[in-house]
Amino acid sequence: MGLGIESYIVQMVHGLVYGMLLFLVASGLTLVFGMMGVLNMAHASFYMLGAYLAYTITGHLGSFWLSLLICPILVGLLGIFIERFLLRKAYKGGHISQLLLTFGLFFIFGESVRLVWGGAPLSVASPVILAGDIHVAGMTYPVYRLFILAFSFLVLIGMVLLLTKTRIGIIIRAAVTDADMVGVLGSNVPVVLMAVFGAGAALAAMAGVIAAPFSSMYPGMGADALLDCFVVIVLGGFGSLYGAFLGSLMIGELQSFGVLWIPRLALVFQFLLMAAVLIWRPTGLFGEKE
Amino acid sequence: MRHLPLRRLAWLLFAAFLVLFPSLFREIRVHIATEVLTYALFAVSFNLLFGYTGLLPFGHAGFFGLGAYAAALIISHIHGMPVLVTLLVGALAGFVAAIIIGSVCVRLSGAYFALISLSFQMFLFAVAYEWRSVTNGDDGMSFVRPDLYLPLLGKISLQNFNNLYYLTLVLASMGIIGCYFVLKTPLGNAMVCVREKDVRASFLGYNVFLVKLTAFAISGLMAGLAGGLFAIYQEVVATTCIDNNMSMIPVLMVVIGGPSHFLGPVLGAAFYVVLQDWISSMTGYWMIIMGAIFVLIILYLQGGLASLFTSSRVWRGGE
Amino acid sequence: MRTILKVDHLFKDFSGLEVLAGVSIEIREGERHAVIGPNGSGKTTLFNIITGLYRPSHGRIYFFDKDISGWPAHRIARTGISRSFQVINVFPKMTVYENVRSAVVSKFNRRFNWVSLLDRDKPIEEETFRIIELLSLTDVSDVPAFELSYGKQRHLELALTMSREPVLIMLDEPTAGLNSEETKGAIQLIRRLTEGKTLLLVEHDMDVVFNLADRVTVLGYGTILATGTPDEIQAHEEVKKAYLGRK
Repeated sequence: MGLGIESYIVQMVHGLVYGMLLFLVASGLTLVFGMMGVLNMAHASFYMLGAYLAYTITGHLGSFWLSLLICPILVGLLGIFIERFLLRKAYKGGHISQLLLTFGLFFIFGESVRLVWGGAPLSVASPVILAGDIHVAGMTYPVYRLFILAFSFLVLIGMVLLLTKTRIGIIIRAAVTDADMVGVLGSNVPVVLMAVFGAGAALAAMAGVIAAPFSSMYPGMGADALLDCFVVIVLGGFGSLYGAFLGSLMIGELQSFGVLWIPRLALVFQFLLMAAVLIWRPTGLFGEKE
Repeated sequence: MRHLPLRRLAWLLFAAFLVLFPSLFREIRVHIATEVLTYALFAVSFNLLFGYTGLLPFGHAGFFGLGAYAAALIISHIHGMPVLVTLLVGALAGFVAAIIIGSVCVRLSGAYFALISLSFQMFLFAVAYEWRSVTNGDDGMSFVRPDLYLPLLGKISLQNFNNLYYLTLVLASMGIIGCYFVLKTPLGNAMVCVREKDVRASFLGYNVFLVKLTAFAISGLMAGLAGGLFAIYQEVVATTCIDNNMSMIPVLMVVIGGPSHFLGPVLGAAFYVVLQDWISSMTGYWMIIMGAIFVLIILYLQGGLASLFTSSRVWRGGE
Repeated sequence: MRTILKVDHLFKDFSGLEVLAGVSIEIREGERHAVIGPNGSGKTTLFNIITGLYRPSHGRIYFFDKDISGWPAHRIARTGISRSFQVINVFPKMTVYENVRSAVVSKFNRRFNWVSLLDRDKPIEEETFRIIELLSLTDVSDVPAFELSYGKQRHLELALTMSREPVLIMLDEPTAGLNSEETKGAIQLIRRLTEGKTLLLVEHDMDVVFNLADRVTVLGYGTILATGTPDEIQAHEEVKKAYLGRK
């Protein structure tokens, strides 16, 4: 890889791609934390499940697009089930109980995946339409990654519209700020929580589906994605969607260039960054000052 | 509080059982018992923070792993170092690291604390993984158990597994009993005050930061000791001693065993190791079963298994 | 009579919301001084700053001429200032005995003692029982705090405050939630406990104020509206306008 401007742009786009994927996953995590005060350790497992289910469904039904439709729905329903029947039960034990519960679920999902699909990495072929590279201004870039970028942006725009223009969106934003108040104002908070939890899970699964052809799947991918998500929401501020967006892009670029420049230290640097932010600005680089 | 003679007798019998264990059971069981003792110390050190001080660390394997690596490095590079000194160094490694890392971590609480503890452990993992020249990365360092030399008894070969068991029994028991007594002192009481209402504690004159840091340091010391014992038991130390999985283990053990009773973690460690041994021979599902039990206990039996045996429904700590 | 506590032009704002806008008070040694004011006037914030939970944005606080502004709470607690809380703030899962004992341990400066067994410590045990008796909690000393009746919890709250034998006792609405019988008892108790000490009291209940206080300071919207004896305050025009007449 030359040191020309082209390679920087390519790396930057790589970073953007991963950043957007990360945002799709992290957005649900940060919203749920903002609304419920619970850090869902199992959240990235939804990402992992989305990818693995895509593998199976694409394998059986032959269509990637069907996977993109079905997997988020399935995982979203799983999310709703978890919130309604498990998390809510643990509520009386306090935040720590709920945190531990999600930890247990994360553990179970990781092992289940290993059991059902095995420990070896798997991959899904990208749909034929999107295979291959595109040549622009002397640079070569895989079409599929551009698809990921475009699709993620569409989803992002959809989210922004939902949260700013619709009634349910406004309720959700209010609930992130103050769940009690929203209940007092008459909205059915438990239903909203359930819906947000399920939607977050579906989004994460969607990210998993579209990431599947792009990177291979392995049982540890949930844990790796989870750690990246943690860094993102620490940087962006717990509960802040905007912060999660900026944080995701930051981490995406950091990993992209970090792998290039300081491959052995990239991971270390990421965690020291998280530790530093937790100490000096626990509300996040972009979050509100508490 | 007066101890019934019955209680004393029960403890005596239990101690006798532990001492006589190798004579009563086959070697494979002695292996398991040694593992249980090592993990029990690790779990008790975790519960010092979680059950007693109210802090949940997701990165506790950092100190365990440091102890293991310290022991492995000494055994591999300094021939003739007495075993007890090696283990002491491992414990001190955990202690010093805990003071440094703790001074940062204990400023936070709740999920923030859990995450920052995790991030430090990940940092240590990354160092262990990348610094191949010293740690040999994920391939790990393997070594032979050194011999133990004691004043009156002379040379004790730790290749004889019973000897290793007794060494572990003595040291792990000392660690666990040490924790027990510390918790019965004013310092232990301070930890519980901080857990219950840290604001009130500070208005009573308690320096909450120092109390938490002290708990963290003692916890790191014990975890380091457990790590050293683990290294000697395994005869190999790799990044698995300091990874996320190892951090999860005390969480599982303490929650399943019960954080509100002092011996809960010990019970949890025994349960975990025995179940793993029993079920993994039958099926590959044992991790899922463990996870399912963990979830069920959180939902239906918050006091853990220990609450089945004790009538104390109040989360007192220090019983 | 010398000044034991001096609050000098205290300002406090929380992210732009100004709660205290230049408060200056002088508390005289041995007096019983009440701070009253409508909700949101900053009374509890004032308490929190004096006792070290918050730092002042501007202004200083002097205790016996020593500048304690910005000191951490535990350090202030050790100088002889103690406070109680409006919302009961005891150690819920500990028994009454263990609660008071924790405070006594701190008084004896044995907080970091890691070598002696707490249960065997005679001096601490005796002192703990003495305080428990003082606050009429002997019959419930083995009950976990969260199981106590509200009235007893208030007593425990007071016990914790008194355990360190403070020189300046700050009580934040000590009669909150008590019925009129219990309130009368509380007034007696407080008067007995603060004999010879200095009391700074936040209250809403005017009966308590008139029964106990030597002087009253009225806080409104973060500033002092008036200071004087209860009678003077009652007659004060501004105070009447802002607030008086409500219980």
